[in-house]
Amino acid sequence: MLSVSDNEKITRVGRGTPMGELMRRYWQPVLLSREVAEPDGDPIRVRILGEDLVAFRDTSGRVGMISEWCPHRLTSMFLGRNEEDGLRCVYHGWKFDVTGACVDMPNEPEEFDFKHKVNMVAYPTLDMGGVIWVYMGPADQQPPPPKFEFTQQPETHRGVSKVIEECNWLQAMEGGLDSVHSSFLHRKLAAGDGLGFDGLRADATAGRLDVETEDYGYRYAAHRPIPGREDNYVRSYHFVMPHVQIRAAQLNNDGSWLKFKIAGHHWVPIDDHTTLVWNWLYSLDEPLTKDEQEERGFGNGPNDVDQQTFRAAGNKRNDWRIDRAKQRTASFTGIDGVNAQDRAVQESMGAVVNRSQEHLGQTDKAIITMRKMLMNAIAVVQDGGVPPGASDSYYHLRGIEEVLPQDAAGLEVLADKMFARTS
Amino acid sequence: MLSVADNEKLTKVGPGTPMGNLMRRYWQPVLLAREVADNDGDPIRVRILGEELVAFRDTSGRVGLISEWCPHRLTSMFLGRNEEDGLRCVYHGWKFDVTGSCVDMPNEPEEFDFKHKVKMIAYPTEEMGGVIWAYMGPAELKPVLPKFEFTQQPESHRGASKVIEECNWLQGLEGGIDSIHSSFLHRKIGEGKGIGLDGLRAEGLAGKLDVEPTDYGYRYTNSRGLPGKGQNYVRGYHFVMPHIQVRAAQLNNNGDWYKFKIAGHHWVPIDDHTTMVWNWFYSLDEALTQGEKDEEISGNGPAYVDPVTFRAAVNPRNNWLIDRDMQRKENFTGIQGVNAQDRAVQEAMGPIVNRSKEHLGQTDRAVIMTRRMLLKAVDTVADGGTPPGLGESYYAVRAIEDVLPEEDFGLDALSERMFAGAR
Repeated sequence: MLSVSDNEKITRVGRGTPMGELMRRYWQPVLLSREVAEPDGDPIRVRILGEDLVAFRDTSGRVGMISEWCPHRLTSMFLGRNEEDGLRCVYHGWKFDVTGACVDMPNEPEEFDFKHKVNMVAYPTLDMGGVIWVYMGPADQQPPPPKFEFTQQPETHRGVSKVIEECNWLQAMEGGLDSVHSSFLHRKLAAGDGLGFDGLRADATAGRLDVETEDYGYRYAAHRPIPGREDNYVRSYHFVMPHVQIRAAQLNNDGSWLKFKIAGHHWVPIDDHTTLVWNWLYSLDEPLTKDEQEERGFGNGPNDVDQQTFRAAGNKRNDWRIDRAKQRTASFTGIDGVNAQDRAVQESMGAVVNRSQEHLGQTDKAIITMRKMLMNAIAVVQDGGVPPGASDSYYHLRGIEEVLPQDAAGLEVLADKMFARTS
Repeated sequence: MLSVADNEKLTKVGPGTPMGNLMRRYWQPVLLAREVADNDGDPIRVRILGEELVAFRDTSGRVGLISEWCPHRLTSMFLGRNEEDGLRCVYHGWKFDVTGSCVDMPNEPEEFDFKHKVKMIAYPTEEMGGVIWAYMGPAELKPVLPKFEFTQQPESHRGASKVIEECNWLQGLEGGIDSIHSSFLHRKIGEGKGIGLDGLRAEGLAGKLDVEPTDYGYRYTNSRGLPGKGQNYVRGYHFVMPHIQVRAAQLNNNGDWYKFKIAGHHWVPIDDHTTMVWNWFYSLDEALTQGEKDEEISGNGPAYVDPVTFRAAVNPRNNWLIDRDMQRKENFTGIQGVNAQDRAVQEAMGPIVNRSKEHLGQTDRAVIMTRRMLLKAVDTVADGGTPPGLGESYYAVRAIEDVLPEEDFGLDALSERMFAGAR
């Protein structure tokens, strides 16, 4: 439970808001590299943290991320011409480079020297792991590059996709840090593709959570007793500030080994009511199949999400295409796709859920810890400090899952495996 | 730059707002005469200055412009029956004439004499120059008829059309009194038809503005040096209160004399977020061709604008049909039609641009002058005074363009040619 005012504080992300200022201290993924693949290619609109921006790759290959609004008369730079290392406004020809400097102002006579008096909002970008990242905070506080382990894998061994979720980022992330919902929301009741999970993740229901705070966020494990056995299904996660989940994806649903696969999400706020959910995964041994890379069956790939607009086919305007007959016999929800099920329950809460009305239990410990951590970090930034997770300590995190004896303390047993050895 | 408060004051036009009160002191063009051509023809909806009205031509040929809402139970008079010198509500049969008087109330017994206690909002209209004009201000302050020179020409020598623009009227007007944007926004690079302007209007980039206030608004010239020719391209304009541009259209793009043609726009607010842009032009020597009347080069006319709804085919919902390949090779914008290009940059700013964020230069002098003049006129009206442009002084204004020796520029160069009676 949160007070109404804390709920406001923790969810709103526009420039100048407490959470907005915290968010701006981290690198944010904004585009798939393929969206701005070509030098001098088409500029595209980007909305992030409530700001309207335009992205373009210039003649030299640098990716610019500047305000959508030309500082002169505020028309849209989306209409602009991407040419000769800069984006030129079509209204009066003002041209800006990727740093936001005005490099040409042909409508004003030279002698007025107005060109050097005008600056455009521009943010630094990085192209890494098939993703364009942007940093929107104070220049002197820019953290090291966001080298999540997935960004360092060859293309054959990683997959990245994104999808728009129509609610506030925090309620989306709270689904991702809530291990136990998987036994219910994603439960599969019959054979068939894309319905959800069976086996381990559906059998083991009541879970015990251990959470341990780290300097990047926290790590936690959910222990779920497997009915009829002396074992627990133990699944471990990391939460990386401010909105990143890293999870295990190594086992088949019967508990046998599949592949050394790790997956995760970034929940990047588009604005207070809309989230860009990033889905990524990578393998540390065998390459990924095409289906794995596109996350078919999760409700994420090209079958479920428009690959230009990133709008989901199942959404609140069509009741997530809920099929009541299927809900009776085939899956817990009647909605196809694990992540589509996630989006349905989160979007159905409304744009920003009122957390003063909720009732949290023991299995919500990870959520409670995360909220406390975010509130603390907001205060740290307000006091002029450096928030957790703005260094390189998260570079080597891995989510691990195993079947362990019931008396084993998962977080301790898995500790070594949850951090990659750098040597 | 304007303060947020002044921006509000200048842009909002509903009943009782400061700018709304100013707007209501002038005759406004509301319909093409052809839209209410027939006596007892179909009534049509009119939305103007945030008010919902219905227009009809009665049995005697008078054009009525009354509230859309029947004063009885407020259903729409658009559904009404236009018969025997009045519009009759279909709900209970109340009937109103063009003056707003209730001339029949068949559902109420005679003895209650309710008919004479009910009055309908009705505004006086005039038909002139193929246009229906309305006056929505205080009856005792009605100005002289809006005899712009175009309204006084024979039909063979004039044309008028209209199109809906999806943004506030002021940002529409601000494009129209901003001469220099034409060298950029409308620049043609390739050979195609209807894609923009070349020659004079593309070569002369940096311009010098000369602005002179008058008792109807102001007149101004933009003088653009033609590279390597030792000449100036001098283009003269008038701004007539509260939202009218008069511009020159006499030269071919190579600078040769074409026809003694003058053009202009009225930007009439439909409401705070929508504008009816009127396009008109006339010739003082040769008759206009059908192509000129349809403005096929400008992105107006039947090829671009629905002749019944006046909605543009190119609009914000389809990104103005921007063609990036065309933008690379053929013209500056990748958008077809000069006025469609105008609407794109103006609509792209959003419904009401926040002028507290802009950066104006020397070439924005006419824009700045317009805002000052309007703010002053708003205050004049609020103080019970008479704003500029209510007399006959604008009847004779003409806009002229010429290619002149380098030493001739500014308003002096065109001097008395900017008014009828001299040539």
